[in-house]
Amino acid sequence: MLRVSGMTVGYGGEPVLESIDLDVAAGEFATLIGPSGSGKTSILRVVTGLLEPLRGTVDLDVGVRDVGFLFQDDALLPWRTARQNVALGLRIREVAPAAADEQAEHWLTVLGLAGYGDRYPGQLSGGQRKRVAIAQVLALRPRLLLMDEPFAALDAIVRTRITQELLEWVERERLTVLLVTHDLEEAISASDIVHVLGQGPRAAIRASHRVEIPRPRRVLEARGHPAFGPLLQRLWDELAAERPPAPSAEPVES
Amino acid sequence: MKGWRRSPPVRRGVALLLLLGVWEAASRVGVLDPFYAPPPSAVGEVMFTLAAGGDLWPHLGATAAAAFAGLLVGLVLGIALGFAAALVPLVADLLEPVMILLNAIPRVILAPLFVIWLGIGLASKLALATILVAVLIFFAVFNGVREVDRRLVERVRTLGGGRRILVREVYVPSVTSWVLGSFKVAVGFAFTGAVVGEFVASSRGLGYLLQFAQSTYNAALTIALILIIMSVVLLLFACAERIERRLLRWRYL
Repeated sequence: MLRVSGMTVGYGGEPVLESIDLDVAAGEFATLIGPSGSGKTSILRVVTGLLEPLRGTVDLDVGVRDVGFLFQDDALLPWRTARQNVALGLRIREVAPAAADEQAEHWLTVLGLAGYGDRYPGQLSGGQRKRVAIAQVLALRPRLLLMDEPFAALDAIVRTRITQELLEWVERERLTVLLVTHDLEEAISASDIVHVLGQGPRAAIRASHRVEIPRPRRVLEARGHPAFGPLLQRLWDELAAERPPAPSAEPVES
Repeated sequence: MKGWRRSPPVRRGVALLLLLGVWEAASRVGVLDPFYAPPPSAVGEVMFTLAAGGDLWPHLGATAAAAFAGLLVGLVLGIALGFAAALVPLVADLLEPVMILLNAIPRVILAPLFVIWLGIGLASKLALATILVAVLIFFAVFNGVREVDRRLVERVRTLGGGRRILVREVYVPSVTSWVLGSFKVAVGFAFTGAVVGEFVASSRGLGYLLQFAQSTYNAALTIALILIIMSVVLLLFACAERIERRLLRWRYL
């Protein structure tokens, strides 16, 4: 579905990411974890075309229009209502205004926001704004869903609930997902495979682990699965080994 | 039932009446020289005569015409130049130093020059009001475009939006909120430009009347005119605020 080969990304100076190879199979839920500043987000930005890599290629089995990108923050157009925000992507795809509004309303209902269509983002809670952002992306019926720490700003209860709903949607639509997160438990409970990105600069993928918990899953039950604990421990250890290099101390005279 | 005593509008009203009462009394018993500080009743009489006698309206009309035309031209010019500078680096390089300079000086000092260039008619007032407004709006638009929320731009791009959609959905609304933030000030500037322009040289307008009142040492007329100009500007502010709330209703929820 998605193949990233030899991708090097930099912003001038030393590359942030170097020679990243990443495959996401069709129908797979892949997660990328790594220390902050390792360039996790940059990978997603290259895939969506927001960022030009220094080297390397991105191959997609689907058109760029089939890729949905759920951002970390829930920035919606503040001057548009929830419905207009959801309808925006549809309008860009030249769906007629009335049909776009109708579909937008449908997606708001799916996300549990029936009756909130006329509210402006300023009138919604953080969780509600996130749901609008999800509706905005799902309304375009993506085949590949990219998510950049989408739930980081939400409180634990809302977060678990939205994650569960999204998992069910992924299951039903057989979506391919690439999730970036620094939450190890979220990574394990949601995904089929966890890729561990090393410490930057010149970060590369250090390891990949299959999650041997059968799908479909329930977020909270997955945490009780026997495979969960040991994998969590391994990921912890691997990330702990990726500490940033300590500033070189003066050689001690002995 | 002491509530009304605590209401700020009531307190302010009472304070104002007290002040006027003291002023009136001081003027009548001779503590204040009515030549310099005519009592409120005399000022009120002048205002009434101006309005009822019909002398006021052509002058008010002339000033309002210059102010509105200046506001309109200034808005169009400021928005056009602001967008041009924000989108074309060459234009920014050329315009920014000029605009910064014009922004730093009190622009009303240009009034005599406009009179020399454009005469004492409407054109010189229009020019002064325009330049006061245009520089203000230029910076509102210039900064508005440059400081547009990058996250929104990226969001719309990942939804498949091109340049046209970005301008319509992100840039224009974002800049509109910046421009409206300066709108009230712009209305005030337009009026300032018109009145000062008239004050410097003209044959009609509130500024002209004011200049006439000053040259004839008519304190009552001067104060009356100041009060009239103040009321007009306050009225315009109220209108501007309504427009702002209407267009930015997403912000006032």
